[in-house]
Amino acid sequence: MLHLITNPIGVLALSKREIHRFLSITNQTIFPPLVSSALFMYIFGVAIGSRVNFSSTGLSYLQFIVPGLMAMHLISSSYENTSSSLFIGRWHNHIQEILLSPLSYIEMVLGLLAGGVARGMVVCLGVGAISLFFIPNNIAHPLALLYFMTTIAVIFSCAGMMGALWAEDFGMLSIWNIYLIIPLALLGGVFHPLSMLPVPLQIISHFNPLYYLICGIRWSMTNTGDTPLAICAVVSLALASLFFIATVYLFKIGYKLRT
Amino acid sequence: MRNSETAISIKNLTKFYKKFQALDDVSFEVKRGDFFAFLGPNGAGKTTTINCLTGLSNYQNGDVRIFGYDVTADYLHSRRLIGLCAQEFNFDPFLSIYQLLVYQAQYFGITPGEAKRRSNALLERFGLTDKRNCKHRALSGGMKKRLLLCRALIHDPEILILDEPTAGCDLELKFLIWDYLAQLNKEGKTIFLTTHYMEEAERLCKTIGIINHGRIVHIGDKKYILQDRSLEEIFLEITGSE
Repeated sequence: MLHLITNPIGVLALSKREIHRFLSITNQTIFPPLVSSALFMYIFGVAIGSRVNFSSTGLSYLQFIVPGLMAMHLISSSYENTSSSLFIGRWHNHIQEILLSPLSYIEMVLGLLAGGVARGMVVCLGVGAISLFFIPNNIAHPLALLYFMTTIAVIFSCAGMMGALWAEDFGMLSIWNIYLIIPLALLGGVFHPLSMLPVPLQIISHFNPLYYLICGIRWSMTNTGDTPLAICAVVSLALASLFFIATVYLFKIGYKLRT
Repeated sequence: MRNSETAISIKNLTKFYKKFQALDDVSFEVKRGDFFAFLGPNGAGKTTTINCLTGLSNYQNGDVRIFGYDVTADYLHSRRLIGLCAQEFNFDPFLSIYQLLVYQAQYFGITPGEAKRRSNALLERFGLTDKRNCKHRALSGGMKKRLLLCRALIHDPEILILDEPTAGCDLELKFLIWDYLAQLNKEGKTIFLTTHYMEEAERLCKTIGIINHGRIVHIGDKKYILQDRSLEEIFLEITGSE
């Protein structure tokens, strides 16, 4: 039987523990993506971007890449948080603290998810805040931004948990991020609009789900995008639902959690 | 509680790890308030049985209940009734031992204020108050054993399951744990203990079960089992150990 929320104190405690975990190591979890974003903005946005003719998008190059950087770090931070937390829990076996407790499987996933979503959002907004040193940046659609940030963080927090359950060692843990998620994010339009690609690559890019997620963030920030907003919104919600359900299912069957 | 007299009920429990059969049609009951020693050689199936009881292992066949609650279908109820003191030191490395207990209590639905009160009381009881802000890595082996006990007791469970709780403890700690367990049992807690120390089982337990090669080979009241021989002699005879 799949129980919903029966233990709100427990879920809240697990959420707090997950947030406490990444806040206790901010030098590893928060500052590195902020530093690298500042460098990206300076090098690509200021030094190189000022020489790129970007008039077709109606944005400066820096204005274009800031939402892309926000999305990229939202994706990687959410993934890294849940994957490392759950994998370390399995590695040290303190995941038993949760598995022995009267938390339903949905509650376990929600509690772990909270850390990934919170870290992703902190980093994403941090990147947005850093961009203010380079460009005046008004958020065109704050509610849409919240929607896309939340759904994207849920997708990749769940993906992180799935990766942590699948992985047998630390090497396997980072495989998905290095070889799949980051390449798809970069090819999904972090640094370039689709219209700059040859037509065959433009068509292929439409099969990259991360393109729609990045597009959604960019539209929320700048009110411009290559694809209708509704499509981006539906894709992100569908993926978030799918990944959440799949993760709860893995907890329910005890995939690599129970012997 | 659905069944107030039978704390643990296991019927026809069968568990395979791939092709290896760890438990073979295991059936037994533990009454409420009992102090049950579950003995057997290494690899006999003691920890696997505990894992099936606590929901840490899936099993292929059988019916496992805690006070009448099925550990699979009614896991939200059954888990509230069990406190597990595991063999290994499996603590969250990011938390101090005090935070660890407070969080653990809250996972069981205990309010933050009450969780703090219980954590302080248990740390005091087990002499860990001055280490409350340390991470578990800073504790000695004996202190970690005590912390395992604190964590198992934080939600005041009806059943305390102890997987070799005194392994590696010095005499002083062993006696402290024995006294505490005896006191808990006197207060009405059901205790399920695995141990390799026959003296421990003889001294503390009321009922003794012996498992070997995944099968229950002997079970009964300590008074009748130990009428004319020591537990060690009986154990060696039954398990065929030398």
